[in-house]
Amino acid sequence: MSHKQTVTVLWLLLVVLTLGGSLLGETVEPGYALMLVVTLTMAIKGRMVIDHFMELKNANRLIRRLMQAYFYVLPLATAVSYLLATQQL
Amino acid sequence: MSLAPSIQLPAEDHIPGNKGMWAGILCEMTEFAVLFAVYFTARVFFPQEFRAGPGNLNLLAGTLNTLWMISGSYFVVNAVIAIRQNRPALSLRFLYLVFVSAAAYMMTKYLEFEWNVTHGVTGGNGAFFTVYYYLTLTHMVHVFWGMIGLGWVIFRTRGGAYTPTDHEGMESFASYWHATDLVWLIIFPLLYLLH
Repeated sequence: MSHKQTVTVLWLLLVVLTLGGSLLGETVEPGYALMLVVTLTMAIKGRMVIDHFMELKNANRLIRRLMQAYFYVLPLATAVSYLLATQQL
Repeated sequence: MSLAPSIQLPAEDHIPGNKGMWAGILCEMTEFAVLFAVYFTARVFFPQEFRAGPGNLNLLAGTLNTLWMISGSYFVVNAVIAIRQNRPALSLRFLYLVFVSAAAYMMTKYLEFEWNVTHGVTGGNGAFFTVYYYLTLTHMVHVFWGMIGLGWVIFRTRGGAYTPTDHEGMESFASYWHATDLVWLIIFPLLYLLH
């Protein structure tokens, strides 16, 4: 698959994930399952954009790792803050 | 057989655009990381407000803005691919589509804020709404800076400044635009989805 075809497939996938996420946010009761899906989707969408739209998949190692790390740390921080907050409810 | 540069990713270890732009992008990501840290802290201290908060926001507006941002990102990577294929006219059309996406984002934001006022959603309603306004308004400012950069790249593309071997300026803008998209991909679930 060419780079152009890859980004088109990923764009469609990002649209589907966005619409699916909104549907879940609207219909699913709050809880750990929703949090897990939301944080995983956040990480996956970010990685798609970083690797293919931003073209960092085979780019300079420092830049690639810093950007990829962002989408490990932020979803993890989201999950931790959600867990801590839920314990106080 | 290796693919031509125009239909595969650029060479190994490349830096998209230039180093100066990446310094700016990393500053932008750091700035938002600080703002996200405020969100995480506030969520722990005001769990009830953050549980109820997303239900008061306009999910349709948030969803539409996500679609505008990812589409803008898709159009700009296509503009870069087109210039690598020595097709400046096609590249220009994709850049116009990026502008349409950005304008749609701004219009959606305007309508969302108007809807908020009608429904009593203001920054004074509590921690969640304060965080909502400063995150989304700061993001909107970054989109606005991007639109100014986009205007410059459109002007340069119209003038024939970019070639398949020299299009660093366009790649730099594209990288900034993707970074702004990435930030929104975190803002959207945090504010609109995570009850």
